[in-house]
Amino acid sequence: MSTIVKEKVGYVGRAMKRVEDPRLLKGLATYVDDLRLPGMLHAVVVRSPHAHARVRRVDGAAARALAGVAGVFSGADLNAHCGTVPCAASMPDLKAPKHTVLASDRVYFVGHPVAVVVAATPYAAVDAAEAVQVEYEPLPVVVDAEKALEKGSPLTHPDLGTNVAFTWHLAGGDIDAAFKNADRVVRQRMYHQRLTPMAIEPRGCVASFDRGSGTLTLWTSTQIPHLVRTLLPGMIGIAENKLRVVAPEVGGGFGSKLNLYVEEAICSYLAMRLGAPVKWIERRRENAAATIHGRDQIGDYEVAVSNDGTILGLRNRTIADLGSYLQLLTPAIPTLTGLVLTGSYKIPAVRMDVIGVYTHKMAADAYRGAGRPEATYLIERLMDLVAGETGQDPIELRRRHFPKPQEFPFPTATGLTYDSGDYDAALRKAMELARWDELVGRREARRRDGGLFGIGVSTYVEICGMGPSKAMMAGGWEWGCVRIEMSAKVTVITGATPHGQGQETSFAQIAADRLGVPIDDIVVLHGDTSIAHYGRDTYGSRATAVGGGALVMCIDRVVDKAKRLAAHLLGARPEQVEFQEGRFSLKGGAGRDLGWTDLAAEAYVAKNLPAGFEPGLEASAFFEPENFTFPFGTHICAVDLDRETGKVTIVKYVAVDDCGNQMNPLLIEGQLQGGIAQSIGQALFERTVYDENGQLLTGEFTDYALPRAEDIPEYAMGATVTPTTANPLGVKGVGEAGTIGATPAIANAVIDALRPLGVKHLDMPLTPEKIWRAINRR
Amino acid sequence: MFAAPFDYARPKTLDEALSLLSKHGDEARLLAGGHSLIPAMKLRLAQPRLVVDIGRLDGLRQIEARDGRLAIGAMVTHAEIAASRTLADLCPLLVEVASAIGDLQVRNKGTIGGSLVHADPAGDWPAAILALDAEIEIAGPQGRRTVTAGAFFTGILETAVKPGEILCEIRVTAAAASAYVKTEQKASGFALCGVAAVVDATARRVRVGITGVAPVPYRAAAVERALEGQALAEGSLAAAAGQAAAGVTPLADIHASADYRAHLARVNTARALQRAASR
Amino acid sequence: MKLTGTYRLAAPPARVFAALVDPDVLQRCIEGAERLVRTADDQYDVHLRLGIGTVKGAYVGTVRLTDQQPPDRFTLHVEGKGAPGFVRGSARIQLTAAGAGTVAICDADGQVGGVVSAVGSRLLDATARMLMDRFFERLGAEVR
Ligand SMILES: Cc1cc2nc3c(=O)[nH]c(=O)nc-3n(C[C@H](O)[C@H](O)[C@H](O)COP(=O)(O)OP(=O)(O)OC[C@H]3O[C@@H](n4cnc5c(N)ncnc54)[C@H](O)[C@@H]3O)c2cc1C
Repeated sequence: MSTIVKEKVGYVGRAMKRVEDPRLLKGLATYVDDLRLPGMLHAVVVRSPHAHARVRRVDGAAARALAGVAGVFSGADLNAHCGTVPCAASMPDLKAPKHTVLASDRVYFVGHPVAVVVAATPYAAVDAAEAVQVEYEPLPVVVDAEKALEKGSPLTHPDLGTNVAFTWHLAGGDIDAAFKNADRVVRQRMYHQRLTPMAIEPRGCVASFDRGSGTLTLWTSTQIPHLVRTLLPGMIGIAENKLRVVAPEVGGGFGSKLNLYVEEAICSYLAMRLGAPVKWIERRRENAAATIHGRDQIGDYEVAVSNDGTILGLRNRTIADLGSYLQLLTPAIPTLTGLVLTGSYKIPAVRMDVIGVYTHKMAADAYRGAGRPEATYLIERLMDLVAGETGQDPIELRRRHFPKPQEFPFPTATGLTYDSGDYDAALRKAMELARWDELVGRREARRRDGGLFGIGVSTYVEICGMGPSKAMMAGGWEWGCVRIEMSAKVTVITGATPHGQGQETSFAQIAADRLGVPIDDIVVLHGDTSIAHYGRDTYGSRATAVGGGALVMCIDRVVDKAKRLAAHLLGARPEQVEFQEGRFSLKGGAGRDLGWTDLAAEAYVAKNLPAGFEPGLEASAFFEPENFTFPFGTHICAVDLDRETGKVTIVKYVAVDDCGNQMNPLLIEGQLQGGIAQSIGQALFERTVYDENGQLLTGEFTDYALPRAEDIPEYAMGATVTPTTANPLGVKGVGEAGTIGATPAIANAVIDALRPLGVKHLDMPLTPEKIWRAINRR
Repeated sequence: MFAAPFDYARPKTLDEALSLLSKHGDEARLLAGGHSLIPAMKLRLAQPRLVVDIGRLDGLRQIEARDGRLAIGAMVTHAEIAASRTLADLCPLLVEVASAIGDLQVRNKGTIGGSLVHADPAGDWPAAILALDAEIEIAGPQGRRTVTAGAFFTGILETAVKPGEILCEIRVTAAAASAYVKTEQKASGFALCGVAAVVDATARRVRVGITGVAPVPYRAAAVERALEGQALAEGSLAAAAGQAAAGVTPLADIHASADYRAHLARVNTARALQRAASR
Repeated sequence: MKLTGTYRLAAPPARVFAALVDPDVLQRCIEGAERLVRTADDQYDVHLRLGIGTVKGAYVGTVRLTDQQPPDRFTLHVEGKGAPGFVRGSARIQLTAAGAGTVAICDADGQVGGVVSAVGSRLLDATARMLMDRFFERLGAEVR
C-alpha cells in the first residue's frame, strides 16, 4: 500500500536546488584525497610503458634504499595474497586471463601495474617509484580487434591460444524469412569509437586496518561501496563483516567507478600487512591509461526492408574490443547493446552475433550508457540510412514503426517488455519546440545558398532502472531505511550510492511529502556500508527507480507503525486512524491529533506502548523491481558546417525526454544537460587513441578532447510524462538518457548536412578533418 | 604529479639572474609564468636542479610606446596584453593573439617571453611575432643583443636564446590592419593552425606568420611575394593564400594530418588577409 | 613511427661507411649521446641525454650495428630506457655513390613509450625527423 499525499504543498515535482551543492561549491566537501590519517603511508604504482612484454626482473633495491620508503612490492610479493580481479558477467564460452593485482611474468597493456611503492610522503613515494628498475622484453602487440581475429595475429594472452574472449548470440523472430522476403537490404559498417570516461576526480583510496578489532576500513572513490564490500573479501580474505567500505564525496564516475580495481585490493592488503593506513591517489595519466574505457564496437549491420518501407528484420556481426582483460562487467556491455538494438521500433526479427576480442589495451567496461549508446546510435543511423535508400522521410519512417501507446507493455524481438511509452507524443513535442517547418525551411534556404546545413533526429528508448534480480548478476534490488529520530528529525538511508545525481535532495523531497515533515528536518545518508548496511549502489540509472522504491516501502512501514501507536494513544483501532500531512487523527472525527514529535517521543521513551509494540520508529526494506524501465524521448539537432574547414556549429538543440514521473525537474535537466554534453564530445571529437605499438596517445587532457563550455549550445528542453508501473514512484531513470539519445541526433545532423554531396555515413568522431575529407572526397 | 627535488632562487636584478645562470649552467632554468615549465617538471620531463624565478626582476613588465615603436617586456602576461589600451590602439594584433591563448588562468599566468622561449610549434605568439617582424632583445653574460623574429625560431622547442641568456623585450612597429585566425587543436586549445597577417595597403605589402603547421613557425614567403606591389583585392588575396604551405613539411599527429594542416594554412591565411585588409 | 630521409654527403660511400661504424663518430653524431662503451663486436652501451628545449630525459641503453655490408648498407639499432620511459628504434642505412659523394637513404622505425609518448605524441614524429636530420648533418661535417 502507498501513503496518500495531498497534491497541494508537495516538494516532489519542484525544481528545488540541490542540498549537495553548497558544500561542493564552497570547497567543504570531503573527497578521498582530503583524508589524512595518523601514520598514513602513500602508495605509488609503477606501471608498464610497454603494451606487451615479458617482465624479466623487478628490482626495488635502489628504491628501498631511499629515505622514507616503507616498502617496494612486486607481483611476486603481493599476488599470492590479493586474489584476482573479479568479473561478474559470465558467458558460456568465456576465456578469461588470470588477472592478478600486479603483473606476474607478463604485462599486457600500457599502464599495467608492475610494482607498488609505499612511503611516508607522496613525494618520497614518487621518487622511489622512479627508482624501481624493471627489465622488460617486448613482445608482439595487437591493438586492432579485427586484426586480432586474423590468422597469425599476435595473441594478447598467448596462454589462452586465441584472442576471442567469448561469442554471444541474440535471436528473436524469423530473421531468415525477414531477409528472404526483403525487397532490399540496407547495409552499413559502423565503428563506435573507444572513449575515456575522464571523471573530474580520478580514482583514489585509503585503507586503514584496526589491529585490535581486526576490521578494515576502505575509503574509496567509487560508485559501488556495497559491491566492493561483497567482492573484496574474495580477493584479500577478510570477512565481509570485518570490512567497512566508504565512498566519501565522489567527483564523478560515469561508470568508470563501477568496478573493483587492483589498487583497492593492494592498499587494503598493504594496510593490514604494514599496520598503517595506506593512501593511493590516481594521477590523470594513470586515470587515462588504467581506469576502464568505454564503447569500442565495430560491426556490419544489415536491415531487411520491403518496398513499402517496412523494416522486416535487423542482423549484424559485432566485434567488441574488450581490451586486455575483464573488469567487473566487461563482457556484459555488448549484450546490453543487443537488448535494445531494435530501439523504439517494431522490428519483428533480429539477430546479433557478438565476438568479444582481447587486444593490448585497457579493459573496456561500462561508460555512461554502457551498451545502449552503441545500440541507439546504430538503430538511429540505420533508420536514416533506410529512409535515404527508400526515399522516405526519416520522421515518417520512424513514426510508422513506433508501437502505439495502447500496445504497451510492448514485447520486443530481443525478448524485453517495454513498460510504457508514447513515442509519438515526445516526437511531436520536440518538433514543436524545434519549430520543425521553420527549421526545414532554413535548411533548404542554406542549401540553395551553397551552405551545408543538416537536421538530425533520434527517437530513442533505453533500458534502465536496473533491475529485476533474475536478470542481474548479483541482485538488482535496493535497500533503504527510514528512521524517525527521537527528536522527530528524519534520517533516510539509501543503499544506492549517489555521487553527483542529487538524491540527497530528491529523496528528501519524496520523504518530506510522504511523511509530511519540513524538508530541512531530513538528512539523507548513503555511501558507507556501516550506515547503509546493504545496497546495490548507483549505475544503470537505477538509484531513484529502484532505491526510491525501497524508500517508499520504508515510509509506508514507518507510517503504518506510527498509526498503530497513534491509535493506541488516541484510544482507537489502527484502521480508524488517518494520516495526513504529518498528522495522525481519527477518521471523520475532530478531536485530538498527534504529530511526529508526539509519536517519536513515545516510541523511544517506550513507557506507553501498545502490547507487543516494538520500541522505535524505523523501518528498512528491500525493493525488488518487477521489470526494467524504458525511458524514451526525441532529440533534434541542427548543424551548420563550414565548407572550407569542416567545422561543425550546432545551431539548434532540442531534447524532449520522458523519464516517467519527475521528482525534481532541475535534477533531471542537469542529468540530461551533462549527458548531452558527453554526447557532443563523442559525436564530434572524443576518441581514445593507441598507436600500433599499443602506446596510449590520449593520456592527458592535451590530447583527449573533452567538450568545453564553448562547445555546448543552448538547449531547448521539454518533457513528456509516461509513468512506469515497475516501481511505486512511477519513475524511469534519467542518468544516462542524455548520452544515449543525443549522440545519434548530432551524428545524423552532420551526415544530413553532407547528404547533398552524396555522403551516406561517416564514423564518429565527426572531426572537422573527417568532414573536410568527405566534402572533398579525399 | 610531483616535480623532482629542486632549489629555488628569486633574484632581484637581471645581473643577479644572469650570474645564477652562468654559475649553474644547464642545471638551472628560468621560471616565468610556469605554465609550460611546471607541467614539464611535474611530469619529470624537466628536472632542473635550480629554478630561477624572474618574476621580481625590474624592467621586464612594461608595455611602452616609444617613437612609433612598441616595447613589451618579456614578463608581460597574455592577459595584460589582451587588456592593454596602448596595444589595442597601436597594435591590435597582439591583443587579438593574446585573447586567443588558452583560458583565463593560462592568460593570467603565462608570459609572452616564456611563450616565445618555450617555442611550442603550436604556440600562438610566434605567428604574431613573425607577422610583425619583431625584434627580440636578449641579455647574456656578454651584454645585450637583438635578434629578428625571422632568426628567432631555430627548431622544435628551440630558439636563438642560448642557455645562460634571458629574453628581455619584444619590439614591434605599430600596425593597424592586421588579423589573427586560429583553428584550435580541440583538446589542448593550442593552434592546429594559427595565421597572423599584417597588411600595409599603402606600401602594397603583407606579412604572414604561421604557427602550428610546421615543426618551426614560419613566414609565408610565397604568399608575401605574390602580393608584393599588388592591389589587395579579395581575389588576389585568396589566390596568394594558396601558397601558404608552399615548401613546408607540415606536422602530422592524431589531431590533424599534414594535408589538413596545409589546407588550414591556406584557408586561414585567406581569411586573415581578408580580415586584415578590411580593417 | 616510421620515417625515411635522403641525404647527400660529400664523401664516397667507403668513407661514409667507415665513419658510421666508428663509435667515436657515432657518439658525436647521435644527438645527446654522452658515452659509447664497447661491450661486444659492433655493440656499445650508451648514455643518452635526449631532449629538446625545456624537455629532457636521460636514457641508458645500447647501440648495435647489424647487417653490415660495407660499403653499401647496415642497420643501426638504438635502445634506451630511463625515467621518461623507453626509446627503441632501428635505421636501415643504404649508401650509394653519387658523383664524388654519397646519397644515404635512411629508413627508420622507432617506438617511444612512457610519459613522452603519453604527453608528447604530437611532437614525436617531427622531433624524430629533426634528430635524424641532425645526425646526417653532423655526419656530413665529419666526412667532409
Ligand atoms: C592549459 C594550458 C593551455 C595553454 N594554451 C595555450 C594556447 O592556446 N596557446 C599558446 O600559445 N600557449 C598556450 N599555453 C602555454 C602558455 O601560453 C604558457 O604560458 C607559455 O607557453 C609559457 O610561458 P610561461 O610564462 O608560462 O613560461 P614558463 O613555463 O615559466 O617557461 C617556459 C620556458 O621558457 C623559459 N623562459 C621563460 N621566460 C624566459 C625569459 N624571459 N628568457 C629566457 N627563457 C625564459 C623557461 O626557462 C622555460 O624553459 C597553455 C598552457 C596551459 C597550461
